[in-house]
Amino acid sequence: MAGVALLVDNITVEFGSFRAIDALSLAVDFGEVRAVIGPNGAGKTTLLDVVSGIAHPKHGRVIFDDTTDVTRSSESDIARAGIRRKFQKPSIFEGLNVHQHIAIGAQGGWRRSLLPGELATRVDEVLEAIGLRDLAQRSAAELGHGQKQWLEIGMVLASNPKVLMLDEPVAGLTDDETERTVALVRGLKRADRAIVIVEHDMDFVEKVADRVTVLHEGRTLFEGSMAHARADERVIDVYLGR
Amino acid sequence: MKPLASDRPFLCLLLIVIAVALLLAGSVFNSAGLSPYLANAIGQLAAFAVLAISLDLIWGYLGILSLGHGLFFGIGGYVVAMYLLKHSYEVTGRVPDFMQFMGWTELPFYWAGFGFFPYALLVAVVVTLLVSGVFGYVSFRSRVGGVYFAIITQALVYVAMLLMYRNDTGFGGNNGMTGFTVAFGWPVGSGGVVIIMAAVSVLVLGLTLLSCRFLMASRFGVMIVAAGDDEVRLRTLGYDTLRLKLAVWCLSAVIAAVAGMLYVPQVGIINPRLLAPELSLEIAVWVAIGGRGNLIGAVIGAVLVNAIKFWLSAAAPELWPFILSGLIVLIVLVFPNGLIDLAKMKLVRPMGVKRIAAETPELH
Amino acid sequence: MLARGYWSDMMRRTLGVAAILIAAWVPAALVAAEAPRADLVGKLCGDTGAMGEGGRTLTALAQDGSPDDRKWAAPLARAMIDRKLTCDAGGAVLITAEGSQDAVTRAPRTAGERDRQPFLSLKNRALFETAAATLQLRTATDLGQRAAALRALERQTSGLPDRLFEIAAEEESDAGLKAQILATAQAAALNSTEPAKRIRAVRHISTTPDRRALAQIRPMTTDPAYAANPEFRSAVDAAISTINRGILTGDVLAALYNGFSFASILFMAAIGLAVIFGLMGVINLAQGEMIMIGAYVTWLVQEGLRHLAPALLDWYLVIAIPIAFVVTAAIGIALEAILLRHLYKRPLMSLLATWAVSLFLINLVRVTFGTQNLNFVTPFYVTGGVPVIGDFIFTWNRMFAIAFAVVTLAITSGLMRLTPLGLNIRAVTQNRTMAACIGIPVRRIDMLAFGLGSGLAGLAGLALAPIYSVNPQMGQNFIIDSFMVVVLGGVGTIIGTVVAALGIGQINVLIEPLWGAVAAKVIVLLMIITFLQWRPEGLFAIKGRRK
Repeated sequence: MAGVALLVDNITVEFGSFRAIDALSLAVDFGEVRAVIGPNGAGKTTLLDVVSGIAHPKHGRVIFDDTTDVTRSSESDIARAGIRRKFQKPSIFEGLNVHQHIAIGAQGGWRRSLLPGELATRVDEVLEAIGLRDLAQRSAAELGHGQKQWLEIGMVLASNPKVLMLDEPVAGLTDDETERTVALVRGLKRADRAIVIVEHDMDFVEKVADRVTVLHEGRTLFEGSMAHARADERVIDVYLGR
Repeated sequence: MKPLASDRPFLCLLLIVIAVALLLAGSVFNSAGLSPYLANAIGQLAAFAVLAISLDLIWGYLGILSLGHGLFFGIGGYVVAMYLLKHSYEVTGRVPDFMQFMGWTELPFYWAGFGFFPYALLVAVVVTLLVSGVFGYVSFRSRVGGVYFAIITQALVYVAMLLMYRNDTGFGGNNGMTGFTVAFGWPVGSGGVVIIMAAVSVLVLGLTLLSCRFLMASRFGVMIVAAGDDEVRLRTLGYDTLRLKLAVWCLSAVIAAVAGMLYVPQVGIINPRLLAPELSLEIAVWVAIGGRGNLIGAVIGAVLVNAIKFWLSAAAPELWPFILSGLIVLIVLVFPNGLIDLAKMKLVRPMGVKRIAAETPELH
Repeated sequence: MLARGYWSDMMRRTLGVAAILIAAWVPAALVAAEAPRADLVGKLCGDTGAMGEGGRTLTALAQDGSPDDRKWAAPLARAMIDRKLTCDAGGAVLITAEGSQDAVTRAPRTAGERDRQPFLSLKNRALFETAAATLQLRTATDLGQRAAALRALERQTSGLPDRLFEIAAEEESDAGLKAQILATAQAAALNSTEPAKRIRAVRHISTTPDRRALAQIRPMTTDPAYAANPEFRSAVDAAISTINRGILTGDVLAALYNGFSFASILFMAAIGLAVIFGLMGVINLAQGEMIMIGAYVTWLVQEGLRHLAPALLDWYLVIAIPIAFVVTAAIGIALEAILLRHLYKRPLMSLLATWAVSLFLINLVRVTFGTQNLNFVTPFYVTGGVPVIGDFIFTWNRMFAIAFAVVTLAITSGLMRLTPLGLNIRAVTQNRTMAACIGIPVRRIDMLAFGLGSGLAGLAGLALAPIYSVNPQMGQNFIIDSFMVVVLGGVGTIIGTVVAALGIGQINVLIEPLWGAVAAKVIVLLMIITFLQWRPEGLFAIKGRRK
């Protein structure tokens, strides 16, 4: 399914007098893995906040799949429409075990969209994919940092989202864990799914991303392939360094 | 959550509760059993324990602190008082004293039907659902949370208290309503009835414990824990948390109202002091002292604190506020998870909070 | 023909006659002067009708008589009532403090033959009471006696000489009594027989529009002249509408003024809360007790001055300012250092902890000082007020509170904007971790800010000591309202606190007289809840990202 998954149309986001995003426009296609990079405070996480419905732009809209205006919907509606996001800080439920996390993610809403049998299979698949099947009954609070990251990723992909947004998926991971994550993300690529990744680890980005958008002070500085981004003067100045 | 069979602490508590209930039941027939005075104290403690459980549901598990649960407690209390007075009126034909003072010779029209207990119970539940439903919906929809919510609930119960202090409401004003003479056809003051009411209280406590436990072990319970841990995360997974919060909030309110219906007949009076903001704050103290998020702590905290209060109000009433404040500071600083910490002997170093086992999530 | 000697003889003879005539005139004049007096005394000793005339004459003398005459007449009326006048063959004898005197000449004389004491009929008695009062008003040397005379006359203003009050007022030396005489004159004028005079009186009364004036004018609408005399009617109507307007304006101003003073107290109580909450996320339930302690410290200063330096007693309010601030700030700092710094990430626990402290403080004060209200001396600079319009008096005690709050606002914003401390506080409020990273001593800022917030509350306690009652529980009355201010105004901003305090204060004061204090609180609460629907972060909050 080709087509534009997310159309960010000239959004401006302000917190009080601080302008976090300034007339930003962006388009991500289905089947694409887009990395959004840039220095701290550039507006990357805020962008994800707008798409998930947590932040609201002062101007502009975000259209999902040519149909839904995300800026007018609630977080849960947006999630049910097929947009899922992993947060920057690992956000899991300390009081529940691993299996329950995936189950919650898979159901994706109060209405039981999966029959019990289907649910069990799905949870199993996901646990396998993120490598936590043996720890299924373990309480999430007891997991290590890397495992928590994967748990959250597992939670958000359990419902087969159409848009998957990952905010710093490899922050704080060892090299090994990072490699595993690269494999995981590559495995998630599908023609009917758009993946957006916010990251600081340039090697990781290079390995998984198709295109790169560089943000700076709430605006797009550059958009193109990673190689070109690395060579671009402005990007080097502002972010990558010499 | 642990399956019931292996949850030793919970089973312990449940057994104790059942034992006490049986003891009380036996004391009705055997004068060597518990005295009516002691039974009455136990009964009141049980009512407070139910109230504490209601707050634990919404605060301990869902992380929403309410400092106004006294409002629902009061609703239950006033409704059951209406039942008792109407019932007495139907049996004796005398209008309650406070109404006579106002010059009323018969009960106003809205008292109709209150002589029938199921109706009174229904009214209590409906009114509680209405008040909690409207307030909860309005607050949760606008995402008012945390400390703001707590303060607004204090203001809510404060305003209710002011309203009930007015002497023209027909609910007794600042003197409240008292003079209950008959309940379910039996004289309220007699020793046997006192003991039976206490037994009923303890029984209801046991039932509440059990049903809340089952609730928390169910799928709904899992969602409650999730929402309490990270509501935004749950929302962004497709779950509209408004309904969940509202449901738990209303359930909590109804349980509090039931606690009120248990309390007032045993203490013989209801007055607006029950709606004082300080009292609603104290409920949170009971739960905090006992330990949030596991039901047992709520019961233990409520029983312990109120037992001390009972004892002190006879022995050294001046001392109580100082002891209470000392207790709170101790709990908050040294045992942030309440007495459960003491049980696990995991003390806290100041300047940092050690994370304790996952079954008692630290909820801010 | 007549010689020159004839004319000098004539002259001599003329002068002589003149001398005789003059010599005869003086006593005649005296006698003539005495004649009205003797006449009057004769009337007093006459029949009922004559006595009535005598009484009226005495009253007329009070207005028209010479000072001499008045002084002479003054004891007579009283003597008639007190039965100290005895009529006899030679006229009458007056019993005074100096003994028995002739009523006319006031020469000492005892009662002669056929003595009797005149008997006053009821009607005459009333006449003589009036006469005695009017004369007392005009002649008594003691202010108290004149005032008493006026009070007696106020009750019966009809039948008095028209210009009695005006003349008495003119000659009255005491300003207060003069004003009272004029007021009575006005009331008398209202009921005068002359329409022009009444209209003048009506217009005059409407120049001070208050409820008392309304009470005076209202009865005029049922007066026959109202229906009969169109000029009178229009004057009365105009007066009533002017007075009503004045009263309304006064009431509105009074409500606004009260609202301002309440808002001032609220502001001072809430600003500390707002700063602390914005900074540390701690809701300080002990804030009300800081107010209470501030008030108690003020009282202690008063008592200290009373015993050590009584001359300075009136200045206790000023002297207590630094003391109250320092004491409450110190308590706040201690609170923060010992208790709250361990709880900074746990706002709900700190809520409970501060409540424990509040409980502790209330009971400590209760056990130490008792539960009764404290007595405060009202210093001269805070007493009384300036009447403005209608029934509105611009009282100084409220002005004190308002001025205090304005100064507090100025100092606090100055502190926040201009000093390094203020900058640090704002930095830590907006981003605690970042501020710590760039080297701001966050813990110390916490402590100082807490001290500041508590100190401000202590000052609020000082400012309200002249207005509200002071007892251990007083803090509780303000805490809920202060919270509402913080919730509504948005956290951590000064302007938000000001606007919210004004709003809540005014609304409370405006609704209270209409529907009672309870309704006011209910309405304020409902309004806040509704408002939060629309703007959950309050009026002026600093928005932030999900951290």
